[in-house]
Amino acid sequence: MSILVNKDTKVIVQGITGTQASFHVKRSLDYGTQIVGGVTPGKGGTTHLDLPVFDTVKEAVAETGANVSVMFVPARFVKDAVKEAVEGELDLAVCIADGVPIKDMLEIKSMLKGSKTKLIGPNTPGIITPGEARLGVSPENIHRPGRIGVVSRSSSLTYEAVIEINRAGLGQSTVVGLGDDTLIGMDFVETLEQFMADKDTEAVVMIGQLGGTFEEAGAGYYKNLCDKNKKPVIGFVAGNAVPFGHKMGYAGDIITKGHVTAQDKMDAMADAGMIVVNNINAIHTELQKLFSAGC
Amino acid sequence: MNIHEYQAKKIISQYGINIPKGCIAYTPLEAKKAAAEISFRGPWMLKSQIQSGARNQGYFLEKKAGKKGGIRLVKSRREIVQEAEKMLGSTLVTVQTGPKGKSVGRIYVEAFKKVKKIFYTGLVIDRMIPAITLLIADAKDEEIVNLAISCPEKILRIQLDLLTGASPEQIQQILEFLKLKPQSAKSLETFVNGLHQAFVDYDAAMLEVNPAGVLPNGSIIALDAKLTIDDNALYRHKDISLLLDEYETEERELKASKYGFQYSSFDGSIGCIVNGDGIALAAMDLIRAKGSDTACFLNVKGGVDKDKIAAGIKIIMTNPRVEGILINIVGGFLRCNLIADGIISAASEVGLNVPLVVRFEGINKDEAKDILENSKLPIIIADEMEESVDKLLQAMEESD
Repeated sequence: MSILVNKDTKVIVQGITGTQASFHVKRSLDYGTQIVGGVTPGKGGTTHLDLPVFDTVKEAVAETGANVSVMFVPARFVKDAVKEAVEGELDLAVCIADGVPIKDMLEIKSMLKGSKTKLIGPNTPGIITPGEARLGVSPENIHRPGRIGVVSRSSSLTYEAVIEINRAGLGQSTVVGLGDDTLIGMDFVETLEQFMADKDTEAVVMIGQLGGTFEEAGAGYYKNLCDKNKKPVIGFVAGNAVPFGHKMGYAGDIITKGHVTAQDKMDAMADAGMIVVNNINAIHTELQKLFSAGC
Repeated sequence: MNIHEYQAKKIISQYGINIPKGCIAYTPLEAKKAAAEISFRGPWMLKSQIQSGARNQGYFLEKKAGKKGGIRLVKSRREIVQEAEKMLGSTLVTVQTGPKGKSVGRIYVEAFKKVKKIFYTGLVIDRMIPAITLLIADAKDEEIVNLAISCPEKILRIQLDLLTGASPEQIQQILEFLKLKPQSAKSLETFVNGLHQAFVDYDAAMLEVNPAGVLPNGSIIALDAKLTIDDNALYRHKDISLLLDEYETEERELKASKYGFQYSSFDGSIGCIVNGDGIALAAMDLIRAKGSDTACFLNVKGGVDKDKIAAGIKIIMTNPRVEGILINIVGGFLRCNLIADGIISAASEVGLNVPLVVRFEGINKDEAKDILENSKLPIIIADEMEESVDKLLQAMEESD
């Protein structure tokens, strides 16, 4: 088991004919991901990488039975692509592009409200269930099947977390990159919920990022869980060396919430009972402590 | 991207918002002409156009500019020329500019407006809702940032509907919060919804009017304006892109942004090249924990163009403050071999005079390591992030 995607997930690729999409779709196919088709408006009826290409998500879903999409469309077309995913009633859409305008994201978030579609990203490496399915651009060769979940708001540190799990001699159940952008689809709360319910995940590594209060919300959810549903979470947030007032990320955060530092976030996570490390390379030692009996 | 006060004011005035009559001036003579055009008699305001808050509390580095701040009240036409001469070409330092300050290249000459009351207005994205959120505060002299930290309850927060802006009930709520008379209601509505529409139409990331004023007749007037456009939406606003004031941005940051990269500078001596904010911050934290500090970092994001990557690396290699370079790349979208090629072409062009530690992980990492090893350049290779920091600090110590 795993969360969100596995070997039975039928995946379509929106924007399949692009260069970057082609490179990564090929790798995902080689990895064993069940990619069943692609969508590129105007290229319906053709094939690409031996996969059928459709004009719309709806057609692709009708023909292939896909329930998940991964989007390789450029940022300016993301809003339309999400609209299609919602209309196609997909369960999940994973958006790789970075640079989606904030206004488009506001519209996307209201489109998603009340629909059955969940969005991961934008600006995410995607999601991978090692040995089963790879949706996105993550380096598949660093992943190993196992029982530790990863959820991260920092794309680059997602990989570091995976490497740390490997160093501890363990592997990953599912690795979810929530995305680096100002506004994102799924958040820590929704992802932690899934990990806590997944019987094959025994612990979770949670990587936060400066900006917003997503980590605090995740910590709040975790704190209120009853003990029998609680699995250990190892948390890390980078950014303590950033001087106060240095412009990083979204300036509006400061006047909306007051200055929220990496330390504030880590304090909230520790207060909720998570195991917090202040060096990314300390994750593996904490994991070793947790699983010293082996698992 | 930020634009100047006078440009932002022009935009919001198109939405029916009152602004004082004003003209931009690049020379003292232009300032004098501008004042004459605005009104026969003063007083006038001379406002330094640099992109920073707290200009009034700032000071000029040059003695000739006098002791007064970046915003000056003048009463006679002769005074205008004198003050404009002092301000133009001088360097204004504020709490936001850092000690180096910013050079004042233009002055906005404005009619002085007497107001009964001032208040803070800001439109931002509250990303946790998420929605455009209006912030109102009876700010007086206090900085809004301090207020947000020390007494957040003194800030009124109103969530605006993306399509319709503020409702009549919300306008009433603001009116009561600011203790304004009913005669201000209509003007307040024009003000708030004008700002909201400008925010939406121009793809703003932030729009502040700090302060707004209440005129003797109860109308609301924007006495300042600060507009930040969402960089990701600039492609929809070609006219705004043209307003970019290149003098406002650090040269290296500007160069990096032209290649689609992000450059940030700090006070230390180590230059970092990374492919992500998170990895940059984690490296900075480690460097700090080990007793050193970061000079700058370049985030090449998901760059896939070899030449651009080489150009980006050169920005770091040619920074005189950089005494050691740390490259941490975990390839995914970005492939490691492109960075390796970039390092070599940058080093062959500008020379490699400081220790350089590279750590590759992820897609095409072995290929990338081979490229570096075959280059015969004195590059140190590490396998983990912490190890890469240790190796660099050691090499920097040895080269001292």
